[in-house]
Amino acid sequence: MIDFVIFSVTMIAIWSVLGISLHLQFGLTGLVNFGQVLPFAVGAYGAATATAHGLPDWTGIAIGAVMAPLIGILVILPAGRLTQDYWALVTLGAAEIFRLTMLNVPNIAGGVEGMSVYRFASNRVGMAFALALLIVAILFALRLGRSPFGRMLRVIREDEMLAATLGRDPVEFQRSVTVVSWCIAALAGTLYAHVVGYISPNSFTVVETFIVWMAVVLGGPATISGVVLGTVIVQLTSVSTRFIAEWSHLGFELVSNLRLGAFGLVLILVFLFRPGGLIPERSERVDAGSQ
Amino acid sequence: MMQILVDAIVYAAEIAIIAVGVALSYSILRFANFAHVQFAVVGAYLSFAANQLLGFVLPVAVLVGVVATGLIAVLVDHLVFSRLRYISPEGKMIVSWGVALFLRAAIASIFGGAARVFSTQPVNLSLGGAYFTSQDAIVVGTTVAAMIILNLLLYRTRVGTALRALASNPDLAATRGIPAGRMIALTWFISGAYAALGGTMFALQTRLQPNMDLIILLPTFAAVTLGGLDRVFGAALGALALSLVQNLLIDVDFGSLVSDTRWSVPTQFRDFVAVGAMVLILLLRRPQEGREAR
Repeated sequence: MIDFVIFSVTMIAIWSVLGISLHLQFGLTGLVNFGQVLPFAVGAYGAATATAHGLPDWTGIAIGAVMAPLIGILVILPAGRLTQDYWALVTLGAAEIFRLTMLNVPNIAGGVEGMSVYRFASNRVGMAFALALLIVAILFALRLGRSPFGRMLRVIREDEMLAATLGRDPVEFQRSVTVVSWCIAALAGTLYAHVVGYISPNSFTVVETFIVWMAVVLGGPATISGVVLGTVIVQLTSVSTRFIAEWSHLGFELVSNLRLGAFGLVLILVFLFRPGGLIPERSERVDAGSQ
Repeated sequence: MMQILVDAIVYAAEIAIIAVGVALSYSILRFANFAHVQFAVVGAYLSFAANQLLGFVLPVAVLVGVVATGLIAVLVDHLVFSRLRYISPEGKMIVSWGVALFLRAAIASIFGGAARVFSTQPVNLSLGGAYFTSQDAIVVGTTVAAMIILNLLLYRTRVGTALRALASNPDLAATRGIPAGRMIALTWFISGAYAALGGTMFALQTRLQPNMDLIILLPTFAAVTLGGLDRVFGAALGALALSLVQNLLIDVDFGSLVSDTRWSVPTQFRDFVAVGAMVLILLLRRPQEGREAR
């Protein structure tokens, strides 16, 4: 029982960090990124590569934290000037290219078999790391959201033209926030790999991206407390699928399908009846004189 | 060479008919509908159910599947998207993921995760040294017929004129008395029905499984992107171009060109080409094109 609680808390912390990285991009800046699983996967594969070559653990973190923003820049550099529809397609495509590469070129990272990763000595250590990362991510995101930089991101979200009129280049801001956000997501991915101890291309599909989106939209994309609350709900539902399946005798596959269907339905209902999520953003009055 | 061409045309036919629906709905509804791919899967399963469970002959079963999926699409619009007409296109896009996930879960719950196959006995044919089956010929014929019907509908009827008016200027169209609500419902019906037809043919050629959506998703959106998101028949051309490149890359023996060993690009890289082409095209687009639309 205690193991289960530790596992749940760890998963909630890791996916909350991933949710916060999406909060920075979508909640604050309004970028629709349908490939948020990509930096997460890059972080995880960074850890796996470090383990495979017998390198110390921090190299895994470094590989992920450097590679993910680099790939992020590669994706956003040309895509920054696209409209949202195309930006969604490009990020979705980029994430799938990465997954397909890992799947079809076994020489890089074991193909469909995946790779095993060095695991933390005890699950408590994993939980401690996950919570520490979560706290750092929350403090960072709060600070960023309240800074002038964060305010400009909100301006870009509401009206890119206005931001340009104020003399700021929206693309430049979008690029910076993508680099930061992907770096955070990569750290979450590295930690995920070390907690689970095994990664394969099947852990990083479109469905995983969708689960992050689900949590963020449900809780409230523009607030950090909303993102964490959404993640708690979604992850608790996910980890308890096995128990519900045992208890209801419906079979694991059916229950997990029903769970995904419920996620889809909840997403639709949130948009219909509570567009700001469970914890919506409050409008802030900023007095120019006090700045 | 002839064989590559035939393979390319057959694959293009399966994708084109789904892609055309994405472009049609984008041109009128103004958002990329990710649930569209799911309509293809739903349609394929409904055709399968009508054929194997209700015992209709295959053409009738396909018709049942197509019409039923069209109605499901109208229902989705009525229940969800008609209430969200004025939110941002990004919002609609995210909601369409929700719809897609719901439909996928419904299909997987009802029919189970195992793969199923239509029982058909295609005859082998050949033309100019290229081999194909009678089923390939039917698929291509159906796609061509469907394209001609859609073209006639859009360019030769009053309804088509109304749809095109709505696509080019919704406000003006509404002012001129075009019933936007009914036309939007019709758009959903047509794109849902076409997706179902394409999905059924895709399943006929391969097999039926709930994760078919991920197999169809990328080539479809790649084809639509190649043709231009809002150009209906551009999507069909995009599918053809994409399929030609894919089949050329996979079928041509590059190894023999440079050395004595045979080597060609493995088949798994088919999707790779699709995604690669899509990303490349998007990145090479003229910068201001997207911004103008706002």
